[in-house]
Amino acid sequence: MRPPARLWLPSVLLAVVAATAWAVPGSAAVATRAYLFPPAAARATPPCDATASSLRPTGPPRVTPGSFMAKIRHRGYLIAGVSQSTYPFGFFNPLNGNTEGFDIDMVRAVAKAIFGNPKIEFKAISDAQRIPELQSGAVDIVAHTMTINCKRLQDVDFSSVYFHAGAQVLVLKNSRVKSLADLGGKKVCATTLSDSLGYIKAATPHPIPVPVTNFTDCLVLLQQGDVAAISTDNNILAGLKAQDPWTKIVGRVFSSEPYGLAMSKMHPDFVRFVNAVLQQMRTDGQWAADYRHWVGTPVPAPPPAKYKA
Amino acid sequence: MPSTAGRAGTAVTTVSSRPRHARDALPAARHVVRATTTPAKLRLLLIGLVSLCLIWGAVAAWVVSQRASGANDVASRSETLSLDGQQIYRALSDADATAASAFLSAGLSAGIEPINGPLRYRADIAEAAAHLESATAAAGHSAAAADLRTLSADLPVYTGEVQTARADNRLGLPLGAAYLQEASKLMRGTLLPAARNISAEANVRLAGASGRATGLPLALILLVAAVIVGFVLYRAQQWLFRRTQRRLNAGLVLASVAGLVSLLWLGIALGVARADLLQARTHGSTPVAALAQADIAALQARADESLTLIDAQGNDTFQQDLVGVQHRLGPGPGTLLTDAVIAARGSPAAGPARAAAATATTWYGVHRTVRSLDNNGKHKEAILLVTGHGPGNSSTLFTRLDDSLHSAIAADQIVFQRHAAAGSNAFIGLEVGVIVLALIMAAGCARGLATRLAEYR
Repeated sequence: MRPPARLWLPSVLLAVVAATAWAVPGSAAVATRAYLFPPAAARATPPCDATASSLRPTGPPRVTPGSFMAKIRHRGYLIAGVSQSTYPFGFFNPLNGNTEGFDIDMVRAVAKAIFGNPKIEFKAISDAQRIPELQSGAVDIVAHTMTINCKRLQDVDFSSVYFHAGAQVLVLKNSRVKSLADLGGKKVCATTLSDSLGYIKAATPHPIPVPVTNFTDCLVLLQQGDVAAISTDNNILAGLKAQDPWTKIVGRVFSSEPYGLAMSKMHPDFVRFVNAVLQQMRTDGQWAADYRHWVGTPVPAPPPAKYKA
Repeated sequence: MPSTAGRAGTAVTTVSSRPRHARDALPAARHVVRATTTPAKLRLLLIGLVSLCLIWGAVAAWVVSQRASGANDVASRSETLSLDGQQIYRALSDADATAASAFLSAGLSAGIEPINGPLRYRADIAEAAAHLESATAAAGHSAAAADLRTLSADLPVYTGEVQTARADNRLGLPLGAAYLQEASKLMRGTLLPAARNISAEANVRLAGASGRATGLPLALILLVAAVIVGFVLYRAQQWLFRRTQRRLNAGLVLASVAGLVSLLWLGIALGVARADLLQARTHGSTPVAALAQADIAALQARADESLTLIDAQGNDTFQQDLVGVQHRLGPGPGTLLTDAVIAARGSPAAGPARAAAATATTWYGVHRTVRSLDNNGKHKEAILLVTGHGPGNSSTLFTRLDDSLHSAIAADQIVFQRHAAAGSNAFIGLEVGVIVLALIMAAGCARGLATRLAEYR
């Protein structure tokens, strides 16, 4: 005998409610956990304005007592994490044994503002070591063609923007490659843990990323025919091209890379001090002189200083 | 006389009476049955003794040839190959360290590479190439051949990269440092391991050859053969003596004397060779191998020291490697230097080996100063301490360590060669000698028994 319809409907509804009551707490718990402890790779970086992320200087650069600058002055030299192989930004000059470049001149200006003359210990570090070295306090400042981005801003502080680069592709002069899109299935070189390697991995059709330690290692591989292209910031590519005239930079600029000097989050006074130094360089023509010397002409206007506070 | 012969003959016949039934069944053995008469027995004895003498000659000659070839392999081929492998390693490792430190000091002398740098580098490469050639000749089809092919193929690649590095440096390009590191990677990843393998393979072969030249089983075979021959000759003479009532049979006496001479010669030569080859091993190849191991580790530590300072990567791979190598090198219980000192005890290398161990400790002290200078921002001072030539400089101390090890190796090398040559020389003429003596023995037996047989016709 068939049950009446008015009995059948409530029982179905009851079953649905029960099932939901049983299932939902589980899925809700998963969702809550995902929200509270997001996996590191998938952690959403809060949106930010990378070019206006730094701290406003309080007037001209001054070493106030008790500040981090006073501590550095007491030590006797500034410790800077730099590249020794990124011509012409930070490189070891084999002709005189000095560390030189545009990044290096920024650090020299900072040291000069602390000591009156540039007393610096340069520590050669790789791209992958930039943040760990700052966090451990092994270096005071990193000047290493380092792009300011929201993810890195969670780990370190940056100065205001002192150079604006964008990613492109370097190939041999006889290559038919026009952009990253032509490099699907081919080997493309960049440094380990750099943004550039990330762009290569994300490109479609997929190139084969070849991670190395320094960008000069990429040029060795390109010259020996082991990779088809190098992809990174155009200023670094220009430096490689200057070392091998048989190469060319191709394609449009496909990223925006504002460079900042990186410092530990522990020393906001130092960040303001460095920004004051950069501000001085923008106005007194030092920035333009350094640019002309290392990057060449035409010299653009320096990137404007924008601050979050 | 015939009656006495008959009596003795009866006795012998009784002894051999049992197998006669079996032999009767074989038509081919009919002449053996006839051996019941004295002439037949004499004829049989003649054939038996002559064969035995010839077999003895063959066995002795074979044993001697085995030993002599082992001794020869020890004295010439295996040791040559092992030494070539070591020399290739030395030369290549020094080339790598020289290229690195020439790069380091270039910046300090205002752009001019120190002139002894390229000269020393070139001499190293030339030496490596020369030893590569002689090693290839000595290796034949042994396991070392593949490693030698690797070296031949990659050495030009290495020198090419170093030259590119130098050209880039001259232009002031940072690319030079990248080429130098690429070259060094090839050297350490491929070339030096191959050179190390060659020595290792050659040492295995040396141990095999040495075992063949001094092992006891072959000597035992020889001893058993000598006992059998001696016993049979003695019994034959005894029997003949009883049968003929003559005290001496000139032919058999001659055979016995020849046999004794060959046995004495063999005993003395084999004994002397064994003693010499064991000496060559204890006071020659064993300390040389231990010292060479220590030298290889010292060279690696030196290259690490230079590369630590030009390392533009900022990681401390080379420093970590250096610390590891220092632990292996010693001195200290179970380390290479201490093992080498122990192995060299009682040999001419003992003094230099002890000096090397003492220098190593001083060198480590200077290296600690280098590290603390470099870690405190005094990069140029650190480079000067590594590359300079003052009495307390790292390079001076390393050179002293390397020289001590080198002269220790050379000293025990001489001991090895002297004993190995003496051991090998002990075999001169022996093989031909035992064959000639065996023929004399055979001729003596034949002559002695033929004279007896003739008395029956």
